[in-house]
Amino acid sequence: MDYLQIFLLFNVFAMGVLAAVAVRHAYAHFRPKEPESPKLIANVPQVQLPPMVRGRLVKEAEQHFLQQLDQSVTDLQKDLRATSVQMNKQLEQLGTAVAISEKGRYASMLEDLRKRTQIALSAAQAELDQHQVELKAQMAQAVVAEQQLLIKQIDAKLADAVASFLTEALQHNVDLGSQSEYLVDLLNQHKEDFKREVTGGEAAATK
Amino acid sequence: MVKPQLPSSVSSPQDLAALTLEVHGYLRWFAHASVKKRVTGAAISQPPELSPGATELIRDWAAKQQLTQAGLDELVKALEDFKQNAPSLTVTLAAPVPGDLKEKLVTWFRQNVAPDILVTFRFNATLLGGMVVNYGSRIFDWSFRRQILAARHKFPEVLRNV
Repeated sequence: MDYLQIFLLFNVFAMGVLAAVAVRHAYAHFRPKEPESPKLIANVPQVQLPPMVRGRLVKEAEQHFLQQLDQSVTDLQKDLRATSVQMNKQLEQLGTAVAISEKGRYASMLEDLRKRTQIALSAAQAELDQHQVELKAQMAQAVVAEQQLLIKQIDAKLADAVASFLTEALQHNVDLGSQSEYLVDLLNQHKEDFKREVTGGEAAATK
Repeated sequence: MVKPQLPSSVSSPQDLAALTLEVHGYLRWFAHASVKKRVTGAAISQPPELSPGATELIRDWAAKQQLTQAGLDELVKALEDFKQNAPSLTVTLAAPVPGDLKEKLVTWFRQNVAPDILVTFRFNATLLGGMVVNYGSRIFDWSFRRQILAARHKFPEVLRNV
């Protein structure tokens, strides 16, 4: 026999037990038995008392009962008062404990928030400082570049002004006689260039 | 073909054109005078007035070749050939060129560059000095103006060091 067959047999046995129990419970539910009447206590013989005695006994029993009742009420009042005092004390202690714990929690939350805010502020401040340094450096560079540009422009304008002045001042009464030797020297310096140009042009023309 | 030596007073293509006209005129007179002398035997009339350049040219030509009609025809042909084929350049100076400087420069060009080169002279006062030579599409600018403009970036340095 393998384990599966053992398990199946066990399941069948359990189902049989459960079915039997269910049937018994259903029978008890739908056909309940009448409760047995309580057995009477042995009869007590009755004694005849005079009315005065009976009345006095009843009165004494009533007084005794009232005393007991008053005593119970007093005790109950005392217990209730002690219980309420105790409960108030407990509530006060509980309330104090809760307030203290909540206050502690609130304080720790505030501290945590303060620390995080401090960290964020420090980071922002550091970033601002760095940005300020970068901006200052950029501005210094821009100022230097602007200065250089202005100087260059001034130099260019100055050069143009001087060149224009020289041109305007020297263009009148030019003496070519004094320049004749200079002109011939100039031609001698560039003789080969001329020859190359002219002979090259003639060769191209003959082609 | 024998080439004539252009006188230095004949520098530009315009001078050459004028010279050619003068030689043409002289040729016509020579032809008429020769025919007249052959036919009538009369004395040759006075030749036309020629410029010193034309006179010098014809004298040089007569020294190389006989001064005949054929010779003069050849001279005219040579001048026409100069006009068509001679290289030509333009020289611009800072003032109108005086005659001696003009001859000096033309002589230099004909001795050192090409014997038949033609030179046109112009002037431009804004050059201040030196010269500008144009040959074809090439320009050789050796004027004072160009040198001043090329060195104008040095003015601020010089002024700073003063």
